[in-house]
This record gives sequence, C-alpha cells and structure tokens, in this order.
Amino acid sequence: MSESDKLPTPTPISTPSLTPKKAVSVQKPPLAAAKNDKTSGPGIGVYVCHCGGNIADVVDVKGVVDQASGLEGVAIARENSFMCSDPGQSMILEDIRAGRVDRVVIAACSPSLHETTFRSLLVRADVNPFLVEQANIREQCSWVHHNHEEATAKAATLVRMAVGKARHLKPLSPVRVDAAKRALVIGGGVAGLRAARDLVGLGIDVDLVEREADLGGFVSGLDRLYPDGEVAGDFVERLVSDIEGDPRVTIHRSAEVRRVGGYIGNFTATIASGASSADQSADQSADQSADQSADQSADSTSASTSNVEVEVEAGVVVVATGFRPYAPTRREFGCGRLPGVVTLPDFGRMLADLPDTASSLEVDGRPVRSVGFIHCVGSRQLEGVHKPPKGGTLNKHCSRVCCTATLQTATQLRDRFADVAIHDFYQDIRAYGRGHEELYEQASRADVIFHRYAGDTPPKVRKAPEDDENGLLVNVVDGLTWGEELEIGVDLLVLSVGMTPGDIGTIIDNLKLATSADGFLQEVHPKLRPVEMAVNGVLLAGACQGPKDILESCASASAVAVKAAVLLGKGYVELEPYVAEVDSARCTGAGQCQEACPVEGALELVEEGGGRRAKVNPAICTGCGCCVAVCPSGAINVAGWTLDQFASMVEAITEGEEVAS
Amino acid sequence: MREDDHSSPPKILILATTSCAYPGADATGQAHLSYPTNTFIMNVPSPAILPEQFYFDCYDRGIGGIIVMSCGVECPFEGAYEQLAARIDRVSLAMRERGIDQGRLKLCAICTVCTKSFVKAVSDMNEVLAAQEVA
Repeated sequence: MSESDKLPTPTPISTPSLTPKKAVSVQKPPLAAAKNDKTSGPGIGVYVCHCGGNIADVVDVKGVVDQASGLEGVAIARENSFMCSDPGQSMILEDIRAGRVDRVVIAACSPSLHETTFRSLLVRADVNPFLVEQANIREQCSWVHHNHEEATAKAATLVRMAVGKARHLKPLSPVRVDAAKRALVIGGGVAGLRAARDLVGLGIDVDLVEREADLGGFVSGLDRLYPDGEVAGDFVERLVSDIEGDPRVTIHRSAEVRRVGGYIGNFTATIASGASSADQSADQSADQSADQSADQSADSTSASTSNVEVEVEAGVVVVATGFRPYAPTRREFGCGRLPGVVTLPDFGRMLADLPDTASSLEVDGRPVRSVGFIHCVGSRQLEGVHKPPKGGTLNKHCSRVCCTATLQTATQLRDRFADVAIHDFYQDIRAYGRGHEELYEQASRADVIFHRYAGDTPPKVRKAPEDDENGLLVNVVDGLTWGEELEIGVDLLVLSVGMTPGDIGTIIDNLKLATSADGFLQEVHPKLRPVEMAVNGVLLAGACQGPKDILESCASASAVAVKAAVLLGKGYVELEPYVAEVDSARCTGAGQCQEACPVEGALELVEEGGGRRAKVNPAICTGCGCCVAVCPSGAINVAGWTLDQFASMVEAITEGEEVAS
Repeated sequence: MREDDHSSPPKILILATTSCAYPGADATGQAHLSYPTNTFIMNVPSPAILPEQFYFDCYDRGIGGIIVMSCGVECPFEGAYEQLAARIDRVSLAMRERGIDQGRLKLCAICTVCTKSFVKAVSDMNEVLAAQEVA
C-alpha cells in the first residue's frame, strides 16, 4: 500500500444551509485501490458464468470468453459453471491475489442478485469493492433470446460494454456521517406506537409526535378488531402503556412537525405543540422531557400558549402518519344527505357506544330492522363512473382492509342483534389474510345476505316513501341472481369507505419525499427496500405508504425499527458513494448545477481559489445527476456513474457501426 | 438479426433506471418473454444525468434508436423526472432541426413489473426504425 493509499483523517464537509452538528466525512478508500487507468496495473479479469445451463444452453460461453480476452485492458478471461459458487469465487480470488487482475467484470445474472456477493469477494481480496462491474447476460440475454449465434454476439457486446465501463472504474468509499441514536416518529397511531416501542427496545431514543391529544390514531376510535374481535381500545392501551413513562420516549401530543430537514444521522425538526385547550397543554407538558418542560410548563397551562416550538434532533425520521378515511360526497349513496347513511368507522363508534345490555339498535329514534353495507366506497373508482375531487384524482386502488372489516362488523352486528336483517353489497370479497376467509364463512352462516354488483353499476340509494317499513331503498343489479335488479329496504346503510393519503404536505415538502400516483408515500422498492424512502434515513411505517391493516402496519413498523437500528447502530452511517463530485479545476462557477439541483442544500457555490466553485454535500446529495447534465464545463460527475463510463459503453455497442444519423 | 451484419436492424440503446426499468427488464427475462437482440440496456440511476449532447453523440456513433425507460412520475429522485422530460422535449426538437427522425427517441415509464410494456416499447421502436430504413 502506497503512502497515498493510507487512510487520511476525515475532512469535515460544510453544510451551510442545514448547519449539521454531526461530523460528515468522505473517507479515502479503505482498501488497497486498483489503478483507475486502463493503461496501468494488472488489468481487468472477465469471468463468464454458465449459470448451469441458464446461460450456457443459449450462449456460447467459450466464444464470449475468447472475444473478451482480446479486449483492451483485459488481462484474463475465464469461465465457470457457477461464478457465485465457492469454486467460481475462488478462481477470481486467486487471480487477484496472484496480481493477475485488479478489477473484475462478471458476466452472469442480474446484479440485483449477486452484486453484493462479488463486492464482498473483492473486500476479501483487499480490493476496493466498487471495482467490479456486471454484464447481465442471463435476464437480459439468454432468457430473452433463443438464437444461439445472436445471443452469443449480444452477450459478447454486453461484456464489451462492462469492460468499457470497468476501464473507468475508480475506487469509491461510502460517505460516513455521525449519527444520532435517536428517532423522530411522526404519528402516534398504531404504527408509530409500535415503531416507538421497538425502537427503544433496540436502544434508540424516540421523539413521538402526535397531532391529536390522545394516542392511538384511527384505531383508537374503532370498536373491535378483526380477525379475532379484540377490543380496539385495549389494544391501543397496551401499545401506549409500553412507552408512556419510559424516559427514552418523549411524547409530543397535540403537536405537529412544522419544519424538518437535514439528512441521515442528523435530522432537525421543529415541533409545534399547538395545544387547543388547557387540558391538552397540561398533558403535553407532563409528557415532555425535563429539559424541554422546564421552559414550557409555565406557559402550557393556558390556551393562549399554543404553538410552543421545540427543536429536536434525530438520526432517522419515521413517517407513520397513517391515512384519511375516504369522505363520501353528498352525491354518493346519500351520505350526509339522507338520514341513516353512515360510514363504517362511524358505525363502529356507534356500536362501541352502545351499552352491552342494549337490546335493539336505533337511528334517530327509529328502530333498525335492516342494515346494508356497501363495499368499495372511495376505492377501485372508475373513469366515467366516479368523479374525482376538485384538483384530485380517482382512488383506483383497492383499500384492502374494508372487506374484512365489513365482514367482521356484520358478524359482530349479528351476534348482538339476532333479528336484524343484514345485506352486504360487494364487488369482490377480498378476504386475503389469515382468518379473513373464516370471517366470510362466518358471515354467510350468520345469514348475512350477499349481493354482488359490478364496478360500473354501483347500487343506488334513495329515501323510502313515508309508508315504507324501512327508511332507505337500495337498488342493485345483483350478479349473484344473474343480473336481477333488486330493491332492498334498509334502515341503516353503512358505507365501507376506503383509505386515502393523509394530509402531510409539510413533511413531503420539507423532506422532498416522493409520492406514488395514488398519493401515498413511495418506497424505494416494494420488495428490496420496502420501508425506505429515496431520502436516506426517512423510513415508512404503516398506512402512509398505502392501504394496510393493523397487522401489516405493525409489521412494517417493526421492520422500520430494525432498519433504524442497522442504520444507527454503529453511531455513524455509511452512505452509498454514488453522489456528485466536482472537479474544481474544471469548474467555472457557472451556477447551472445549483439551479438544476432538486435537493435543497445538496449543492452550493462557494468561494474557492479566487472564484466561485460548486461544492456538493455528499450527505444530502441523492446522486440523481441533474447537475451533471447541465454543467457547461463537464466538471461534475456522479461517482460510479460518470459520463465517460456511459460514453465507453456506447462506444462498445457501436464498435464498427456506420454513422446512422 | 445478426449483430455484425449490416443488414440487421439498427441498434437500440435502452436507458433503464436502476429503481424501476432495469428491474423491469430483469422481470421480462424472468418471464422468459422474447425481444430482438438489437437491444442494449444501460443501467442509469436517473436518465436526468445525461446531457443533451449525449443523445446526439449516440446517433452520431450509429445508435439507431434510444428508449429512455424511466420511473415516470414515481421517480425516487424528487424533481429529476420533470427535468428529464423537459430535456427529452428539447432533444426531440433539436433532432427535427438536425433532420433526425424524432421517432428515434422515445421516453416511457417502465416499472419493475412492466414486462409487456417493456417488450412493446422495444417492438414499437423497431417498427419506427424499420419504417425509416424502408423510406
């Protein structure tokens, strides 16, 4: 290892717009770095995998190896039945240790499967783990092409592209940021409570912010929970009691996050405790930590002291803001217009408020003899059938929870009032979870009468004539009776409303969070990174990500806690090195990069060497590359994704090609 | 469709985003769907990284068509898709000025499971290129 390869003292990087309190450093590559110049050093090793017959049945692997061995910069090209196996990896390891190669191209499956495997291999060989490139000759070649000759030629080109990129690979190091072992959990519903509970269990202190005076969120207003009929209040109480009084958890009730910024390891949030009553303020001050309450408690005893602000720091931000139940318009099934039309959450509260001894159900003083439930209200909406709200979009998604919640409520209703007729108007019964189908069977056995409607012909509801025995009439084209139009009288109509995104514009704007087309928060990848936002250190728990039931919300909250523990466990975090870097010698300070940068604070212009120069904060930069594309002097690149790498790959594709334009 | 055969269709460069389109291309392979071999996928974190000149350099070097397969409005990089879309518009206009068929550049959204859309995008581009060759 040369003198220049030794680890330097980390250099703090300034972040003027966010004033970090934690050290941020970019470390020099910790491992012996290979040369980044194709003309020096041992060279590139190309390793082509048979993947059993997955590749070799279609591609002439030996032919690809032969072609690769003649490429510029390639020192060795080899093949193996399974390059990811021990023998395959040993082959590569031996070549590196023998000094035959100092960077590696693997021609095999998709990097999504084994990129980590081969990076780890390079670490074992004391080579920087980012000096490996993969040519995807399985998913994007042998599995989609069937002509041997053509597939082989294409595989050879894909290898040529990877070699072209590998010639420009440079050793990279993760960006290291000191991390506060503290989490900001936004939302005190079941997901937030569960996340807080698990976070403190993993040694991470928590600031929990809840908009309402009481914890528990939407669930605290429910009666019983499916599939086992647990009392919602008891469940919430258990979650609350787990964290209430725990000195590691600071609960901010009747509070909102006004501002939040920063980056992983060093977020800062301003929490406004906007108590609307003296009681709420008193509760809140009792829950706040000693150092905060000293200043606030004197003021928090009166309503006039609302909007007391405190600033907190956190290593990660957990967004657990839940959802909003769909609010039907007056056009929809007479909700808010006709007496006796309520939503499922409202009906749950009605049942909860009824004394156990109640022998009958009443609405506005009228006995209820017949109850109807309509599914998919505000879910699975169709163009031309439903109208989107002003400036909004249709809710095309399935809210997933409502079918089982409706079945559970219907069976509960039957248990309490044996003589009430129950009609269930549904499109499809989506009882997908454990114990859900049993609720459907239970409802069927309990004489719940099902009527199936098509999405484009929802039931119609009108007020019944005065002399009718029921208050409302529901007309439905029933698919279960071969399209017969039925008119059914009910006294109470319960609308199973769906889930819509919560109102969290401030948080979305502050943290630059991505939302999906349905308006819910968008994770990086539904399977590979299911609880992470693209903004490092922002994690998702519960139904802010999309419709989830309590079980799923709690599962995601626990996943978030573990993810946070992984991120913060070492006291620092290492970020992927794919961030923009500026060649100061080429930078002319033109400033287009700053205008193009979509992330506040990620790139700024500073005085340096007698002129303006672009400077990147690697802890905030997301590596989108918007700055790269607009730099007039080519002074910016994203590490690991440089423009010369892309150019080399195109060159590899078009080798020998005539100019076509 | 031989790679080294000048009678084969022009080559198509596919810029596929790491988060969406590249896994979408993988999913297409996992589904064992088929598409022609004149397609070369380049993994990019966000195509917004590539300047306008990149596209013209590709055409100058002999790339027949470019399909930019992005994450669309679900791009995990806030604001990057909007910049990309604006850039593609500008490139397209400049292509017309330079006498390059605008059909040789296509921007589409491909998600991680958009296998059929992936194949269709490739098929559509090949049709454009074939029509151009005939013309």
